[in-house]
Amino acid sequence: MFLSRFEFNAVRRGARELLASPQRLHAAVLAAFPADQSRANDQGRVLWRLDQQPHQTLLYLVSPHPPDLTHLVEAAGRPATQSWESRDYAPMLERLTTGQHWAFRLTANPVTTRRKDGTATRSQRFGHVTVAQQTEWLLSRAGKHGFGVVEGRSKEPDVAVRGRRTLRFDRRGRTVTLATALFEGTLEVTDPSLLRQALTHGIGPAKSYGCGLLTLARAS
Amino acid sequence: MSVLLLRLAGPLQSWGTSSRFTRRNTDRAPSKSGVIGLLAAAEGRARNESIDDLTMLRIGVRIDQPGQVERDFQTARPVDGSAPLPLSYRFYLADAVFLVAVEGAHDLLERLASALRTPVFPLYLGRRSCPPAGPVLLGMREGTAGELLRETPWQASGWFRRRHSDATVSLETVTDCPPGTPGSVLVRDEPVSFDPRHRQYEWRSVLRAPVTVGNPDHRVHDPMELLGGDG
Repeated sequence: MFLSRFEFNAVRRGARELLASPQRLHAAVLAAFPADQSRANDQGRVLWRLDQQPHQTLLYLVSPHPPDLTHLVEAAGRPATQSWESRDYAPMLERLTTGQHWAFRLTANPVTTRRKDGTATRSQRFGHVTVAQQTEWLLSRAGKHGFGVVEGRSKEPDVAVRGRRTLRFDRRGRTVTLATALFEGTLEVTDPSLLRQALTHGIGPAKSYGCGLLTLARAS
Repeated sequence: MSVLLLRLAGPLQSWGTSSRFTRRNTDRAPSKSGVIGLLAAAEGRARNESIDDLTMLRIGVRIDQPGQVERDFQTARPVDGSAPLPLSYRFYLADAVFLVAVEGAHDLLERLASALRTPVFPLYLGRRSCPPAGPVLLGMREGTAGELLRETPWQASGWFRRRHSDATVSLETVTDCPPGTPGSVLVRDEPVSFDPRHRQYEWRSVLRAPVTVGNPDHRVHDPMELLGGDG
């Protein structure tokens, strides 16, 4: 597996077009791989996430094969001075052991699946929209993904919803609506193999549209 | 020298040093008379008792969270409905947090610390209607007021700290200094007596200076850093 990072040059028209639509960005990410390498395999799948800060827009990418982001650099980056970084993810994945603490960041699409009403014949996904619902969604799933959220200074789970957005974009003539939440906090590893699975296969729905990529960093 | 560290935080605070009559202003930082009054109240001193030992203390204030000035417009009337009292304005600081360092002799500060833990009179932040949120006493340390204002971690509330994206933050301090120190200013804030029939304040010389402290909530999320080397 590989973890890659690319910095957008947000003033370029190409960057704006891509950043405006998760559908187009999804296509651009998949274009980084030949057809037989873009599919999920038993190691993992292609996952990506946009980290937008006031003066920096970063694309993180996890993939079974190393990506070729030349087209992104040319259309939306700084082709004369900067390319992208790509590193082998395996050493990090092997280092995970029970009890470790890591700072985490995750953009997810928290949803609940249910029938719309009594007469509905099939169930459908409904986005969680409040901070409380979204946090509860993550906490209730953490164990299944091999981690627990540690307790912070005031004995509350150390997780914060740093950003909530409702994305609306066109997909083949129909509008897709996604409620996303950016989670940040500190986790404790409870099951390394489940966490490895979460890091390489993603968490929750809408993985093609920039949701579900969990990254770990040194805990402060 | 020993230092008593206080954290003054609450929904409302009001620290007047100069205003009289119908317009009661607040300063942007706790006044020495307010802090001395708080310590005297903790010890249970009556208004007309001597506070000479407390005025010898050296006081420094750090503005950890500046808060907002709020105006309260009062239209009070006597109970019998006769002639209304003058209209008055009272000013408050909302949502502010201050770190106060009280420097002095060890024995006196130890006595004050235990009084703050079990105060005789209720403590308030400048005005009777402004109770503190949480314990006022942070602890007792060795050093000078200036050192401790530089070294003590940032006391602002969590929501305020998280708004700052930088690793450090610059905070203003107001510290007692000998009269005539370059850059100092005089304020009429040295309490001599709190006797309600004869309140007295002397001039006090203070120095304002910024200090830089770390932001404990600063986090940079860099997952690539763990993978080392260039791949």
